[in-house]
Amino acid sequence: MTEFFLTMAILAGLNVLLASGFNMILGYGGLVSVAQPVFYAIGAYTSALLSMKLGVPLPLAMLAGAALAAIASFGVSLPSLRVSGDYLVIASMGFQLGIVHVINNIELTGAASGLSGILSAVEGPGRSWIYAAIVWTICAVVILGIRWLVTGPYGRAITAMRNDEEAFASLGRDAMRIKVTLFAVGSGIAGLAGALYGHYFLFLTPDQFGIFSSATLLTMVVVGGAATVRGPVLGAILLTVLPEAIRFLQLPVSIMAPLQGVLFSALVILFIFLKPEGLFGGTAVGGLEAWQGRGTARSKAGGRV
Amino acid sequence: MLSARGLTKKFGGVVVAQDLDLDLELGRVVALIGPNGAGKTTLFNMLTGFVRPDGGTISFDGRRIENMPAHQRARVGIARTWQRPRLFESLTLLDNVMVSERDYLGESIGNLIFRHGEVERAEDDARDRALGFLDRVGLAARADSLSTRLSYGQQKLVGLARALMNDGRCILLDEPMAGVEGRTIETMKAVVRAEAEAGKAICIVEHNIGFIRDICDSAVFMFNGRIVASGSIDDLLADKRLGALYFGSHA
Amino acid sequence: MDLSFELIAQLAWTGLASSSSYCLFAMAFALVLKVNRVWNFGQAGLMVVSYFGMYTAFRLLDLPPLAGAVFGAAITIAVAVALERWGFGTLRRRNSSVLTFFIFTIALAHGLVYTAELFFGTDPKTLFPSIISPVRLVGPIVVSDWDLTALATAAAMTTALWLFMRKTGEGKAMIAVSDDPDLAEMYGIDKNRAYAVAMMLSAVLLSAGMYLIGTKAAMFPATPMNQFLIFAVIATIMGGIGNVFAAGVAGVVLALMQSFSVLVIASTWQILLLYILIFVVIVIFPQGVVFKFRRGPSRQAGTLAPAVEETGEKQA
Repeated sequence: MTEFFLTMAILAGLNVLLASGFNMILGYGGLVSVAQPVFYAIGAYTSALLSMKLGVPLPLAMLAGAALAAIASFGVSLPSLRVSGDYLVIASMGFQLGIVHVINNIELTGAASGLSGILSAVEGPGRSWIYAAIVWTICAVVILGIRWLVTGPYGRAITAMRNDEEAFASLGRDAMRIKVTLFAVGSGIAGLAGALYGHYFLFLTPDQFGIFSSATLLTMVVVGGAATVRGPVLGAILLTVLPEAIRFLQLPVSIMAPLQGVLFSALVILFIFLKPEGLFGGTAVGGLEAWQGRGTARSKAGGRV
Repeated sequence: MLSARGLTKKFGGVVVAQDLDLDLELGRVVALIGPNGAGKTTLFNMLTGFVRPDGGTISFDGRRIENMPAHQRARVGIARTWQRPRLFESLTLLDNVMVSERDYLGESIGNLIFRHGEVERAEDDARDRALGFLDRVGLAARADSLSTRLSYGQQKLVGLARALMNDGRCILLDEPMAGVEGRTIETMKAVVRAEAEAGKAICIVEHNIGFIRDICDSAVFMFNGRIVASGSIDDLLADKRLGALYFGSHA
Repeated sequence: MDLSFELIAQLAWTGLASSSSYCLFAMAFALVLKVNRVWNFGQAGLMVVSYFGMYTAFRLLDLPPLAGAVFGAAITIAVAVALERWGFGTLRRRNSSVLTFFIFTIALAHGLVYTAELFFGTDPKTLFPSIISPVRLVGPIVVSDWDLTALATAAAMTTALWLFMRKTGEGKAMIAVSDDPDLAEMYGIDKNRAYAVAMMLSAVLLSAGMYLIGTKAAMFPATPMNQFLIFAVIATIMGGIGNVFAAGVAGVVLALMQSFSVLVIASTWQILLLYILIFVVIVIFPQGVVFKFRRGPSRQAGTLAPAVEETGEKQA
């Protein structure tokens, strides 16, 4: 039982990282990408494979996973300078599904049957305790880092950019650079979370990183309140823990897995309709409606249309 | 200083700018007048990089800039305001002005981490300068309030302060007096006049004739995307044909 | 591999026949995008509803083919109209963002797939116990009854949809709403009714397509989500977004491409090509796509940004 709670704590922590990173892109950058899970996947597979095949030490492999995810983010952030709104959603989806499809079909990543035999980061009886502590320490560092970044001069620039991108450019500020940076930071955090996931759960399958997981992460960000530091943290914890409650019913797996899926979907839809403003809603930013109007009708300031 | 030649722009099939030439000199204030829809704002947008001209050249300080993105034009010293104030509504007045600092070190995460001390010092400087500009427009006391709590005219003053913070040698003001009333009128006039006297190259789109007479050295009259006349203010205002164009299109 | 004429002809015929359902799915998706202005990823859920509606009718209630198909279509229509009315309608009234629609439609599709798995299990199923279709040789080409049924169904559906949109009042109302919902309303057209009609038509197209799928091979509950949906999305994008029949044609082209790419590329990489295609089409040619989109029907505040030359202060 303790093991179960520790696993939940680790999963929740990883989701906090993912959602907080996603929030950099969605909330602070105002870029409506859905591709966050693919950076999670890139981090997870890179770190797992580097350590398995090349014997790279784990901390280094994890950092490499995060770095590669950050670099891969250019695949979405550069297009985001050309297209936005619906088109960015669809283009980012194409990017994500394309890469997941590759993972699904090549030998190196174990293809559809998944990658097993990943090295464990921590061994021994206290494994889960130690790992939970590691994950949550990293969470704390990342959350504090994000808070430091979004307050102060950088945060001032981000807020101004979200408020009015043209006026922002007319002051000499480079919106593109900020967007690309936020994308890389958010994706790098996702890559790190992926690496952490792999070296604890020791098994990866491509279908963890599909479109449904995009919708899940989006919900985590907006349920708590986008463009706030605490919103995605609470959203991630809530949406990780709630669907697990039915585990206590002790149903057979053939019923449990789909039932959990049904309940989770229902939960997401309920949130959309009952709490569209986010749990800390009512403010101008945050919540599901943060991107309507000006948020999506971004003009292409900077003149590189 | 700033010199445009042959700027042309079509939106769809509509010609909104046809072969426009404009020269701005240091220490001179040029008024850009003409009825609504004449293409004055489009000209500003082409000069500042928000509309890409279909043809023509722009040079600033001897440098060709027509292919430069908007933010870089601001960085070389072309500041502008907008018809609406377009303040950042989630920021305080002080932050609104501070974010306009020309070399904004805090824009780079690298600087924030590796040049932390420098960033801090730059922030302190920027805060002092921003407060100075807010003081000039009479709003220093409200530096910490949100822009949404100001009157429209006051918001335009903050917009002006924000443009001045850029410290560019060329300033383009888009209808600075529109919507400005009461005490703010005099403040607006005084600040613009002071900038002109400080030797900036200024271009103003404006309908307020009194303001133009008061401040501008010469004027350019636009109609239907073309420059139809230019010269001294008095000559242009005395021209009956231009008057007919101006007021005719309002009817 | 021997690239004989017979082989090519056979591939073309089989590809064309199997493109029928893709064509129907693409038109269904494009129609909802055009009229309702929603990227309805929930379509995968509607497909599942339709499939298992028909499965229930045929396998559990023992209804004859026509009655069973009508039964399945009726359930799908009911769910589709409810989705428009209480789902999209609510979000539309709130002026929700594209992300909200995305989350909602994806979650809905998954919820319905999981529901099907919960009640019917995760193993693949056919609509009838036996799906053997008699075949004959036409010249060198093997032609099955299923092929003929499929092509006839797709042709009939396409023609009926075209006639409906051009000739009936409901169809014209739908086109008017897709052009400009508010303007259409000023002319006395009930836009909510037009939205509902579009969903109904979409449901009928989907059901016809699912019937064809389920009479040819066994299907997993998750297949619509993993495979058919993305085909429909790609075809819609290729068709120029907002052009229903072009999307149908693009669906056929995609199926043929897939059929022929057996000759050149291993089948697992075909789908990757499609993803690359989406990405490239949207990223490299946004102006082209957007241009069609703007000239066409679907232009909604907040859904389209890049094309709008929103510079400065037009409103003044």
